[in-house]
Amino acid sequence: MSGTLALTKAELKRLMRNRRYFIFTVAFPVVLYLLLGRQFSGQHVYGVSFGAFYMVDMAMLGAFSGALNGNAQRISQEKKDGWIRQLRLTSLPAYAYVVSKVIVSMVTTVTSVVIVLVLGRFYGNVHLAAWQWLAVAVTVWFSATIFAALAVAIGYKVAPDQVQPITFILYFGFAILGGIWYPLSGALKTVGQVTPTYQAVKIGTDIIEGVSVSIGLAIGLVVWLGIFIALATFAVRSTAETV
Amino acid sequence: MYTGGGQQSKRHPDKTGDTMSHYGTGYGTARTGGGATSIDRDYRGAAGYGGTSSAPVVSFQNVSKHYGSLKAVDGLSLELRAGETVALLGPNGAGKSTSLDMLLALRKPTRGKIEMFGSDPYHAVKSGRVGAMLQSGGLMPEVTVRELVTLVTRLHPRPEPVDATLKRAGVAQFADQRVDRLSGGQTQRVRFALAICGQSELIVLDEPTAAMDVETRRLFWDSMKEEVAGGRTLLFATHYLEEADQAADRILVINRGRLLADGTPAEIKARAGAKRISFRLDRVDEPFLLGLPALVNLEIRHDVVQIQSSDSDATLYAVLDAGLRPSEIEVTSLGLEQAFLAITAEDDRANGKNGETGQEETI
Repeated sequence: MSGTLALTKAELKRLMRNRRYFIFTVAFPVVLYLLLGRQFSGQHVYGVSFGAFYMVDMAMLGAFSGALNGNAQRISQEKKDGWIRQLRLTSLPAYAYVVSKVIVSMVTTVTSVVIVLVLGRFYGNVHLAAWQWLAVAVTVWFSATIFAALAVAIGYKVAPDQVQPITFILYFGFAILGGIWYPLSGALKTVGQVTPTYQAVKIGTDIIEGVSVSIGLAIGLVVWLGIFIALATFAVRSTAETV
Repeated sequence: MYTGGGQQSKRHPDKTGDTMSHYGTGYGTARTGGGATSIDRDYRGAAGYGGTSSAPVVSFQNVSKHYGSLKAVDGLSLELRAGETVALLGPNGAGKSTSLDMLLALRKPTRGKIEMFGSDPYHAVKSGRVGAMLQSGGLMPEVTVRELVTLVTRLHPRPEPVDATLKRAGVAQFADQRVDRLSGGQTQRVRFALAICGQSELIVLDEPTAAMDVETRRLFWDSMKEEVAGGRTLLFATHYLEEADQAADRILVINRGRLLADGTPAEIKARAGAKRISFRLDRVDEPFLLGLPALVNLEIRHDVVQIQSSDSDATLYAVLDAGLRPSEIEVTSLGLEQAFLAITAEDDRANGKNGETGQEETI
C-alpha cells in the first residue's frame, strides 16, 4: 500500500505542473457558471432555481470531463511510452497504477466540485443546509469517478493519437444526452435519462429540492460504474502482454 | 561458476579494446585451450554447468512463445548461475526481447517453464530480486530524474541510497532536469539507474547501450563492471558482437528463437569463424580450396571466392604457398550477421537439414 501511495504522490506532483489539465476541469465550468449562472434567475429546472441547477450541472461537467479526458490521454501515452511496463518491473502490485490514477482523478475532481459549489453559494445565491452541500458534493464526486474507470478502459485499449476523438465524442455525448448543455425534456429525455451525467445532476437537484431521491437513479449510477469497471478490467487484462 | 576452457582469454593481458587484436587473442586461446571442444557439449541442458549445488538464478526449460505461426521463441533451454555475466546475442528479431519479457513476467510462454531463483518469474520480480532495464521501458514524464529515481527506489524492498544510485548510474549531473527533456543516451542511463536502485541479485538489461555514443558506451560498461563485481548476476541482450565479447563471461547465441551456441566469447568466435577472406581467382580449384587450413565456410560465385576462416593468416598463406596469385584480396572481421550464418549453417547441417545457406557451397 505504501508503494501505491508513493506512486500517487508522484502523480499528484506531476499534475500540479500540468496546467492544461485544469482548464477543462476547473476553469471551463467556472467561466461558464460566471457567464450563465445568473442569466435565467426566476426560471426553474428539475424543480430547483436555475442557479442551483446550473451549479450542480457545471460541477458535474468539470468533474466528469477531468476524470475522462485527462486520464484517458495520459494512460494511453504512458502505455505507449512503456511507463506502465517499467512499473510492472517494480514490486508494485499490478493494480497499483490504475488505483493511483483513480485516486489522483478523485483529488482533482474534488477540487473542481468544491470550487463550483462555493461559486454557487456566493455568486449564484444558492442556500442549502450543510448536509445538502455535502450530499450534492459527494454525489457529483462519485459520479465523476465512474468516468475514471471509463478512461482506464480507453487508455489501455486506444492509441494516443486516437484517444482525443473518442473522448471528444463521449464527452459531448454524455454532456448533451445528459442534459448538461441544455436541460432535458421531451423525446431527448427518454433517451437521456439513462446517462450517468443526467442521473448525477438529477440526484443533485433532488437533494437541493428536498424531495426523496429516486432509487432508480442511484441504481443507474451503480450499473454504469459496473459497466465501466468491466470495460476497464477487460481492457487491462486483454492488453497485459502488450503493455 | 562456469568453467569453460576459453574463459581465461577474457582476462588476457594482451587484451585491448581493439576488436582486431581481440579476435586474435580470443581465437588463439580457444584453439590451444580446448575451448573449441567444450563448446560441443550439450548446450541445451544443464550438463555443462554441473558441479554447483545451488539453484540456478535463471532457468528456461524448453520454453516457446508462438504468435500464430510465428515462433518468436522456439524450445529455448538455458541456465544462469550466480555471479555470471551472460550476453544474449542475436540479430534483431532473434527472440531476445521476447525471452527477456517472459523472464520478467511481462509475457507468458506458450509452452515450457521459466524459473528465477527457484520461483516463478512474477514473484521473483515482485520480491525485488531482479532489476531490469528494458528497451521498451518508458519513464514517467513531467518529473525530474531525481524524483523518478526516488519513486522507483521507494518501491524497492531493499533500496539503495538515492544519491549513490544517481552517481553510480552517471545521472547525478542532470538529476534536476526533467525526464522528458533528456537526450537518448541520458534516458538510457536513467533507465539503468532504475535497474540498480535496489539491491537486486540479478540485473537484466535489454540492449542497454542502444542510444549511446561510443564514449558513453565505454563509461556504461565501466560502471556495469563495478555493479557485478560484488557477485551479482548479469544478463544482457545485445546485437553487438564486440559488446558481448568485451563484457560477458559467457555468450548465448540465439537466432530465430533457438539457442545456437553457448560458450565463452572465444569459443563463439572460433565456432563462427573469425574472419572473412575474399578474392578473385582466374581458375577456381574447388577441391584445393576446400582443403585449406582453418577454413570454416567456402562460397564460390564465378571467379569470386569467399572464405570464412578461423585463422585468416594460415588460410591466406596456404593459398599463396600453393603458387596462386589471387587479386582484390580483402580480409575482414566477420560481422555478426555472417557469424550467425556460419553458426546457423552448422546447426542446419547437424540436423541434416538444408537451411537458408543451401544455395551456398558449404563444407
